[in-house]
Amino acid sequence: MARILIPTPLRQFAEKHDSVEAEGATVGEVLAAVTTRFPDLKKQLYNDEGKLRSFVNVYLNDEDIRYIKKDATPVAPTDVLSIVPSIAGGLCGARASALPPGFRPASSTLVPNV
Amino acid sequence: MIHIERNPWREMVNHAQAAYPNECCGAMIGSIDGDTKTVLHALALDNVSTGSQRARYELRPEDLLRADREARDKKLDLIGIYHSHPDCGAYFSETDLKNSCPWYSFVVLSIQQGRFDHANSWLPDAEQTHAEKEELTWPES
Repeated sequence: MARILIPTPLRQFAEKHDSVEAEGATVGEVLAAVTTRFPDLKKQLYNDEGKLRSFVNVYLNDEDIRYIKKDATPVAPTDVLSIVPSIAGGLCGARASALPPGFRPASSTLVPNV
Repeated sequence: MIHIERNPWREMVNHAQAAYPNECCGAMIGSIDGDTKTVLHALALDNVSTGSQRARYELRPEDLLRADREARDKKLDLIGIYHSHPDCGAYFSETDLKNSCPWYSFVVLSIQQGRFDHANSWLPDAEQTHAEKEELTWPES
């Protein structure tokens, strides 16, 4: 069985396991087995259309499955799957740069795009 | 809430000031006890944005994978991401929100004229439409 490493914030949706083992010949099958076992984890990884959320990447050992065969990527029993987010960001261009020094919104107010 | 210990805090501020006028980014590793996260290690990561790094940052997923492995090796947790806003406030911008992940705390350091000014921590939602401010403390705060 392949092993899937569960990121810390998602362990609450996987009975607090830091990794789980699951059967499957492909990445898609392994993920299906894990998310069937832990339905709440599925909501974290997949959107309402059943697709992996935009910020979710899956690595087979050290390789991003998008550059192999995506869900159809074959999995060996000794393989390790990792769930890794895409993260980026930054200022919002001209409008944000023009904000006065020390600008601090009181709450989670967004700076609108120009 | 999230508390950042003295050494990682110093490393984060130094990293942000050294990167100025560009944005810096990195990972925060530590422990979680109930609702309290404690950052024990800061891991400076490359900003690989191909746009202007004065206003953009991007992490390599491979670097986050490495950070998660490092956390596991230390029997700790990857609990957050930090980045800087040069000459701008430590708000969570729309760019931050649209490229965020709801699993982690996002600490933003405001660097004004090359010096640290203030910081905030944010918790974005899964739909990338809203971020809640999270209580943030560090030794000098």
